[in-house]
Amino acid sequence: MPNLKELKNRISSVKSTRKITSAMKMVAASKLRRAQELAESSRVYADSLSFILSSLAGNTKNSSDLPEILTGRENSKISLLIINSSDRGLCGGFNSNLFRNAKKWISDQQGQGKSVKIMTVGKKASSFYKKTDLDIVASFEDLNSNDRQLQVSEEIKNKIMELFDSNEIDEVSILFNKFVSAISQEPTYQSLIPLSNEETSEDESEANKAVFEFEPDKNELLEYLVPRNFLTQIYRSVLESSASEHAARMTSMDNATRNAGDMIDRLTLTYNRTRQAFITKELIEIISGAEAV
Amino acid sequence: MINLKVVSPQKVIFEKEVEMAVLPGAEGDFAAMPNHSPFISSLRPGQMAIMSSNKVDESFFVSGGLVMLKEKVCEVLVDQIEPLSDVNSSNYQQSKTYQELEGNETALGTFEQVVNNPPYK
Repeated sequence: MPNLKELKNRISSVKSTRKITSAMKMVAASKLRRAQELAESSRVYADSLSFILSSLAGNTKNSSDLPEILTGRENSKISLLIINSSDRGLCGGFNSNLFRNAKKWISDQQGQGKSVKIMTVGKKASSFYKKTDLDIVASFEDLNSNDRQLQVSEEIKNKIMELFDSNEIDEVSILFNKFVSAISQEPTYQSLIPLSNEETSEDESEANKAVFEFEPDKNELLEYLVPRNFLTQIYRSVLESSASEHAARMTSMDNATRNAGDMIDRLTLTYNRTRQAFITKELIEIISGAEAV
Repeated sequence: MINLKVVSPQKVIFEKEVEMAVLPGAEGDFAAMPNHSPFISSLRPGQMAIMSSNKVDESFFVSGGLVMLKEKVCEVLVDQIEPLSDVNSSNYQQSKTYQELEGNETALGTFEQVVNNPPYK
């Protein structure tokens, strides 16, 4: 028969766990709102920039006139993958989904005869990939404020420009959890080098229509624009990933709170039954004792 | 009137109808007015002035960026921006823009110059 005191302790510990998870859920919900706002407000800049970039690139008839960093190298051998994870755990399958996806991507690339380098964002990714034998070129951690997110994006941009210029990488992709809705996040790849056209295709037809004058000339503008574009794309993926992280945490903590509630109900039932059994047993003992006399 | 929209990577800083905006283009200052020919330019550090009837209404320091002009829209993508009404020659070194430009001597020099003696007054 279970011990009453033990059961009581169990119940109170599950109760305090439930308090923690429900508080975390509430915190995640409010952080999610803020992260979503940030992602939204940064979109204007990113959209305008990609519009300008596509009108510049679209105006150049011959794609060989465009710099390598936009079109990519012909014989690309080394790809870099930037993995956007979270700094903290307790967010369900957020990180493990990402890593599973990355693993597939990496073996795909290796199957094509390319070697893969990794850049990690967030503590979870850096501690996960430390244990593998992949080449980690840089790790970034503690993205706990918006200023820090922008700063890290800047550092990543500088790093990839530097690596590309020194021929250490030929291609760059970002992997992040795309925010679909509060209950669904989707691991997504975005190619930085070569620049993916998906994002700009909608704008492109319009961008080609208006004939812009450029000042200074196109090449100089591109020189300024390309790093800017990297920065905004990276920054966007960081923001998107942080919104997804909070959403994932919110749902998983909601589940945890509900599970804790169920567990408390079950334990309370057992507790009551056990207590009743003790009382009954005691009564039987007294009655049978009295009968014996 | 032209719709002036100033955007930083983080957010839309402001959007309003103005008569004319003078911007520090990479190859010289230019004025953005309605029906300017479609035009894309990068910006050098300098003063951005919002003007009406030849007077400066509002004035800003921008550290660089891009501008896209078409028809009645003028979109300015700035790196850093500081309203000059908030800073004067004694406190501009404490401003956020100044701290973020740390190490960029030309931009800082221009900032100082714009604060003390703006080209458009």
